[in-house]
Order: sequence, then structure tokens, then C-alpha cells
Amino acid sequence: MIDVRELRFAYPDGRQALDGVTIHVTAGESVGLIGPNGAGKTTLFLCLCGVLRAPPGSIRVAGLDPAAMSERKQLPSHVGVVFQNPDDQLFSSTIGEDVAFGPLNLHLPADEVRKRVSEALDRVGMTGQDDRVPFHLSGGEKRRAAIAGVLAMHPEVLLLDEPSMFLDPRGRRELIRLINDLPGTKLIASHDLALVRDTCSRVILMDSGRVVTEGKTEILKDAALMDEHGLEAV
Amino acid sequence: MSLNPEHLAPRDSILARRDARWRLAAFALAIFGTALLRTPGPSAAALCLALLFVWIGRVPGRWYRDRITILLLALIPFLVVAPFTVDRGERLWEWRFLHLTDVGLLFAVTLAMKTVALVTLALTLLSSAPLHVTLAAARKLGVPRLLVQLTLLTYRYVFLLLDELGRLRIALRVRGFRNAMTAHAYRTVGQVTGTLLVRGSDRAEHVAQAMRCRGFDGHFHTLIAFRTRPADVLMFVWIVGVAGGLVAWDLCR
Repeated sequence: MIDVRELRFAYPDGRQALDGVTIHVTAGESVGLIGPNGAGKTTLFLCLCGVLRAPPGSIRVAGLDPAAMSERKQLPSHVGVVFQNPDDQLFSSTIGEDVAFGPLNLHLPADEVRKRVSEALDRVGMTGQDDRVPFHLSGGEKRRAAIAGVLAMHPEVLLLDEPSMFLDPRGRRELIRLINDLPGTKLIASHDLALVRDTCSRVILMDSGRVVTEGKTEILKDAALMDEHGLEAV
Repeated sequence: MSLNPEHLAPRDSILARRDARWRLAAFALAIFGTALLRTPGPSAAALCLALLFVWIGRVPGRWYRDRITILLLALIPFLVVAPFTVDRGERLWEWRFLHLTDVGLLFAVTLAMKTVALVTLALTLLSSAPLHVTLAAARKLGVPRLLVQLTLLTYRYVFLLLDELGRLRIALRVRGFRNAMTAHAYRTVGQVTGTLLVRGSDRAEHVAQAMRCRGFDGHFHTLIAFRTRPADVLMFVWIVGVAGGLVAWDLCR
């Protein structure tokens, strides 16, 4: 479902953010992407969803190559991204409008869009809150609304970037439940190793733009390995 | 007090039930007509008409009063100076180079009535529907797409920037910063402004990325359905007719 081979990416200032990253995620898998700040997790996500231009042939997500213009246009209906800060994602005046934003961009009929909005809000536990405005929501509600906005697109692949950021313990618990209930292939980038342990079956450790190791969630218990890469074992 | 009109849930009223496009068009023309008025009589009539809309539109009293109070406070300097700037008419009071004329006084009163009428009409329009509905109506009426999108996104993010400014101010205060007319204070204010601009730019970039990831193609699509009914047309004709009548009355004087 996600196939990345020897992906290299440098920002215009010359900083090499990704240096030969190779990962493979199969359909239905839930994989944690961990690593310290600057490891390249967010850059990898932005390459996967086609926001940053990766070299042709280095990425295939849901059968599409983000480097090819025609295939990149199809990505939003296959790959959903939940960004670190939900305020970046909730740009509409009401939650309902925001959740409808993606399906409307897919040019779906109005009835289908309304159905998807209602389903997505139900799924994240925000039934009937269409008319609420984003700046009235708590951190947890904003996160759930942002996830609803992505779920309404019915993506096969879900990329979650630091999903537990800005959440209190209750919000975090609710999020873990929600992630575990979500269908499809999930790639979760996080510093929150406990969240990764509770939601993922496999872990990929990145540092300095490279994949250091990958394996079962047991590696999260390896204190020496985690400490070496600026993380804390759980 | 918050300037955020979205804190106000629009109340059901005769105005709120009208199609947003017809309502926006009617109020835009009424505001334009009111801005053209120059004489006290039509301006007073325009103010009465605007207050009638406040009543018809069931605009919450406190919400309206708070905003009009701020407007009046901002108007005071102009209202104080205006009567002294007109030479025509009978001189009511004179002292050295200063003179107050009846025409000048009427000018100030007209200015106050016109301004309050204009803002009252705008507030009534804002309170009659959520902003995104009014902006969707504006788009349907042919307002440029970019302008509508900018307004919508500015409205959404200006409060976040204000929050960030609030946090920066707290951070400055807890480190002993106090406003003063010193080079250090000016430099600090400049740095805070720069920080806000950089954060605003970062946020804009992130928002653009989030929009692209959800298939944004440069067009804001909406589920809001507009439907014209006879009552919408009647309201439009009535408001525009009255506004036109006031302009004609003003021109005849």
C-alpha cells in the first residue's frame, strides 16, 4: 500500500531531510513512525501526499506515484493526512463546512457529501456538531474534527502526524480508541511512544533522514536504542 | 467584548429567513445609498430605517449596543472638530480664529447619523446569517473569488493570530517588559511584530498544504443552497426602493 524506495529529499536551503529512506507498509497495517525532532517524519509525510516533490519512481502510495502530475491529482481521494496542528487543517467557518471541504473538491453530489459529513462526524463522536465554529472547540475536539475532515474523503491510507500533540490525557485516550477503530492502512508519526505501542503493530525508527531500524513494537522497550535516538523507552 | 460576529448565533427573523443573496444585494445597495446622503433629513430617515431593521432582524441589543458604543467613541474626535471646519452659515460662536456655524453643527450631526446608520445596516446584515453563508452569497453575486476566499480565511485566522499576540504579550510581561517610549521597547515591539508575521507566514504555508492534501483546486465549493422566493424579491424591492427614495430626497434638497 505504501512503497518508498531510496527516497532522497533536500530542502531549498540544502538541508538533506531524507537520505535514502526505504519503507514498505502493507494494506490494513498500522505502522508507527518514530524518531526525534528533525528525523524527517513530517517531510516523509509531505512527500507521500504529494505536497513536496519526490523523485519519480521513489514512492508509490495506493498504487499512485505522487511525482506524476496526473496521479498526484488523484492522491487526495486515496491518502488522508492529519497534520500536527489541527488549526492548520480546520480552515472553514464551521465544522460541517470543513468536513465537507474534501468531498466537495471530489465533485461528489450534494446528498453524498452530506451523507459523508454525517458519517465522518458520527465516527469521531461529534454527531450533530456541524454548525460549531473551530475556535470554540477544545484541543481534542479540534483533533477529532480534523480527522473527520479526512475520513469524509474515504481514504485507503491515513497518515497521522503527531496526533496526540496538544491533547490532555482524556483526549489522548479517546484518540487512541478512535485510531484503533479507524479502517484502512495507517502510518502514525509520533514522539508519543505509548500511543504508538497502543495503536500500531509495527514500528519504523528514523533519525537524521534515514531509517535506523524497524520491527515489532517490542523495540520500543529497548532503552539503549531509544535513548541513542533521543526517545524514551516505554 | 469580542468583535467576533460568529459568537452570535443568528436568530430567526423575517430578515434571516430571506435568501442570503437578495439580502446581501439589498443591504449593499442600502449602504451605498446611505453613504451618498449629505443632508440631515434623509440621514435621520436612514438612521430610523436602519434601526427598524435592527428590530425586524431581532439583532441582540447588547451585541449591537457594544459595537455602536465603540463606533461613537471613535467618532468623537471627528464630531468635535467637524462643526469648526465649515465657514458657511450663521456664526453661533466665535473665538479668535475658531468659529462655530449652524451649518457646521448640522454637518456634524449628519455625519454622526450617517455613520451610525451605515454601521447599523452592516451589523444587521452580519447578524442575520453566519459569515460563511453571507460570503457564499457574495460569491454567487459575482464578488471575485479571491476576495471571498481571503475574507473567509482572514476571518478564520485573525483570531488565532490575536491569540498568539496575546501569548507573546504575556511572555513579554512575565519577563518584566513594560510599554515605554524607549528604544528597547520599540525594538521589542518590532521583534514581536516580526515574529507574528513569520508565524503568520508559516501558518499560511501549513494551511495551504492541508488544503492541497484535501484536493483544493482553487475553488471553494459549498453545500449552501440558495433559492429565490417571492418574499425575497419583495424585500429587495422594498429596501432598494426606500434607499433610492432617500437618495432622491437628498438630491432634491
